[in-house]
Amino acid sequence: MHWLSCRKTITLCIVLRVLFALGLDFYLSPPTSYAYSVDNGDKVVEFINNGPGLLSASSPLTLYANLKESLWLYQRGVDPYGSGIGQVGVSPLYLAFSFFPTIAESGPSTTQLLSKLFGIFLWTAPDAFSAWFLVRIWKARASTSTKSSSSSITFVLPLIYLLSPYVILSSLARSTSVWENAILLGAIAWACESESEFKTKPKLNNSNSKSKSLLFLALRVHLSLDALILLPPLILLLLGSPESRLAEPGPFALYVAKHRSVKKQLEEKLPNEPAENQLRSTILRAALNVLFEFMVYWTALALISTLIVGHWRWMSTTWGTSLSLPSMTPNPGLWWYFFTEMFDHFRPFFLVVFNVHLLMYVAPICIKFQHDPLYALFILVGILATFKSYPTLSDHGLFIAFWGIFPEVYPYLRHPFPTTLVLIHSALLQPLFAHLWLSHGTGNANFYYASTLVGACAGGMAIVDAVWAGLRIALEKHGKGELKLVEGEEREIVTQQ
Amino acid sequence: EKFEEYLSIKSLRDGRVTSSFSFTTLLRDAIPRDPRTLAFDDDTSQHYTLFPLSLGQILRQYAITEMHLTLNAGKWNYDTWGYPDEPDVGVGAELRAWMAGDSISSIDERWQGVRNALAGLFCASLGSLDEQRTTSPRLSFPPEGALPDWGLPHELRHASHASEHVCTENLTPFLKLLPCKSLSGLATLLNPHRIFDADWHGIGLHVLWRPEGVEVRLNVQLVFDPLRISAQGKQDWSFHSLFDRKVEKACPVASSTRVSVELPNSGVYRVYPEPQEIRDGKAYYNLKNNNEAWNIGTMWPTDFEYRICHAALSSPDPALVPFSVTRNLLGPTQDRGQLSIVLTNNQQDTLQLLYLETMPWIVQFYLHTIRVHSDNVPRDDLISNISYVLPVPHARPATFESVLTLPGRSTLTFSMDVAKAFLRYTEHPPDAQRGWDLPPAIFTPLNQSLNGSMSLGSRVYTPSLLVDLATPDFSMPYNVIIFTCSVMAFIFGSVFNVLTRKFIVVRVRPDPPRNQSVSRTEKRLEDTDSDTSNELNTSKSGVH
Repeated sequence: MHWLSCRKTITLCIVLRVLFALGLDFYLSPPTSYAYSVDNGDKVVEFINNGPGLLSASSPLTLYANLKESLWLYQRGVDPYGSGIGQVGVSPLYLAFSFFPTIAESGPSTTQLLSKLFGIFLWTAPDAFSAWFLVRIWKARASTSTKSSSSSITFVLPLIYLLSPYVILSSLARSTSVWENAILLGAIAWACESESEFKTKPKLNNSNSKSKSLLFLALRVHLSLDALILLPPLILLLLGSPESRLAEPGPFALYVAKHRSVKKQLEEKLPNEPAENQLRSTILRAALNVLFEFMVYWTALALISTLIVGHWRWMSTTWGTSLSLPSMTPNPGLWWYFFTEMFDHFRPFFLVVFNVHLLMYVAPICIKFQHDPLYALFILVGILATFKSYPTLSDHGLFIAFWGIFPEVYPYLRHPFPTTLVLIHSALLQPLFAHLWLSHGTGNANFYYASTLVGACAGGMAIVDAVWAGLRIALEKHGKGELKLVEGEEREIVTQQ
Repeated sequence: EKFEEYLSIKSLRDGRVTSSFSFTTLLRDAIPRDPRTLAFDDDTSQHYTLFPLSLGQILRQYAITEMHLTLNAGKWNYDTWGYPDEPDVGVGAELRAWMAGDSISSIDERWQGVRNALAGLFCASLGSLDEQRTTSPRLSFPPEGALPDWGLPHELRHASHASEHVCTENLTPFLKLLPCKSLSGLATLLNPHRIFDADWHGIGLHVLWRPEGVEVRLNVQLVFDPLRISAQGKQDWSFHSLFDRKVEKACPVASSTRVSVELPNSGVYRVYPEPQEIRDGKAYYNLKNNNEAWNIGTMWPTDFEYRICHAALSSPDPALVPFSVTRNLLGPTQDRGQLSIVLTNNQQDTLQLLYLETMPWIVQFYLHTIRVHSDNVPRDDLISNISYVLPVPHARPATFESVLTLPGRSTLTFSMDVAKAFLRYTEHPPDAQRGWDLPPAIFTPLNQSLNGSMSLGSRVYTPSLLVDLATPDFSMPYNVIIFTCSVMAFIFGSVFNVLTRKFIVVRVRPDPPRNQSVSRTEKRLEDTDSDTSNELNTSKSGVH
């Protein structure tokens, strides 16, 4: 019943958003004013990219105009990747969809309306998928826990995602990041629902969820390389379970070992070896299997891309771009102004520093939250939104929507209100300052930089608070049984004085 | 070796006077150097009498087959001035060379070498015509001479730099290439004070090979405005009024020194001295003949009347050029814009134009937004044969070539969205707020001859554009580095601080009731690793 209602919510939100997009389109280009109108809703994209979403709604990697340009060139036999170095390009996989922008470019108004609707649908549908995947992630997480009091989440989650201004702006600007989000959420949802030899609960008839999940993550990594840092927590999630174990921290293997069938299997297989060693090697082997499967998918996608364009240079234009930052186009992230102002001889060094900085979070967070890999994934999504090279608003929208899945940590947040205020502050200032700088000429680059810096602070505050709350909850839920241990430690401290 | 001087003077419709000097040296039976002999040092010895040695050395060293260098200032107004005698009137510096080569890298190395050598020879910033400005358009610049048949492919390198200014320091080395310098002959007239005072001025160097030999043509093109300096508003001009000099004596080594004056179509005027020959509406003078000082000029008895006033009343003058063009960069913002070109066909016949843009990477084209309208009717079929070389950010410009078809007596509008790049702060010029000069676009009419082959007409250069790019704050590098690093370090530190801590309960009251032990007010969350936390100390002091 709840499932049905959640679908209704999603449908309602999508209908609302399609109507909004159509209305905006008609408002911007009334059918009567232009005898000849070639746009497929491009007016809306232009309006968003010049208006509220200036600089923030799309990065060069996800910009609709760049996608259309690549498709246009590809259709006319010009290699959209050129010589490859320093170019900013979309993934060759998009080029396979080269029929998209050409549908009824000019024709009778009914065809135009249809093509407009198709365009709007094409960039709203991924959000519907995203919301649906979010609900499925939540269901997978909540199904194992005993209390089912927060079933209202299934209504709230689609609302948070679908009506988030961040997501709406990205979708109206037709940033490809809405597709990337949907693909990532699909990977996570299937990872949550996948069966593994260590999973504790019987599953629905979803026998190949693991492969689907890995395929989608491979696709997401293929589209933009930054998602690679989500691979380790996703592997943990595939082997472990999505259920909320924040309150009961412990080693990953502990939870796997809890499962009787695993124990039994191990005892049957090798009765003589110590169980712990066996378990460890089994987990390692399973993880390597998963990693191998991921690499197979990733390589396959790369090969398909190479077949589409006929050379390997696309790698440096798509993957290389997010590593080497050839385009200094401003975005809500921290990189662009830093490398605009960077002294030339330090540029390579700091490029390495910034890339390594992203990688540096993966291992500690995965280790610390090994008991709840979904939570580790959530924190890494936040870190990506804050620290990646070409973030857009939709990355922040994804991070915000993810908060809906973890209601158990809310009581332990230290400063949710200041974080929200800082976030709103930055969200309001970003378009304003972008306009003052680029359109009005009354501000300069520092204005927009300051607003992105505040945005990074908001992201950082949210991440720190999420880590704090995720660890703090364990203490609260320890219960009275372990309080004695804690008291003992307390006495130790006191005696130290 | 043969040296010829020629000066052609023409009165223009708007009262201005254009004068075009050309100094041609022909090195008979010479052929350009085969690039395959570059590996050996035993090039033919270079003994020239009239041919400029410093230029010859450059040409031999880099095995240049054909080369054109122009340094111009001002906007050539095709609509009122007509076609120039020398077609290369693009503003700023333009250099193009045809070179043969086995491998492209060798051509690019020689291209760099010739750039730098010419920069040294002409004291111009041609060194800045680097890879970021070099293109190889396919069609727009056919070789003017012949290309030797060595069995090697010839390649074109073209670069232009619109913000390069031509000045006296370029003219002086230019005059040194002439056999008589500026001491005698027509070059006497090249008075820098007057040349660089002209409304439009440009100098050019053209080297090309024809089967009879290598030809070097040095030319100076000027557009004076006699109305500006005339007290009566008269169009009168003479050598003395234009150049403040007369031709005192002819250059002794010149095989011919000739001056032609184009006679006005109508009106009362007097050309003096009496022309020796009048042919095709031009008066010709041979300055070799006698040794008196020449002061050729034209006088009108009446004041100059702007014919534009008549245009509205009676039938306007026939257009001087088959088509006119304006090019603009529209859009108020610093991150995107629209390139707009308006072409008007002045003829009844359909006109085909080869359109070339060599755009630095700072302005990125969106070809999918190309819209072509003919008299406000969308006609996307009027653009064809698009060839596009993508730009490489920070490295290479874009080359866009296409063919536009202009129906007779129509106005064609071409528009295309562009994105303006955001540059690193070191990539901005010192006067960053001024903007960047974009090179001119080049339109070449395609003439279809009777046998079906296409030939190229005279090139038309548009004026350059100024693009306003977003600038960072140039005083901020340290601040930005510090701010960004601080925020990142702060977040990094906080995350790892929390990650590496262990949470324990510190009881404040000595003997809490067992049952309420988890109530929030009684607890402090602290860290076991760091033992000197202030909070911990205060809470403990409260205990004791």
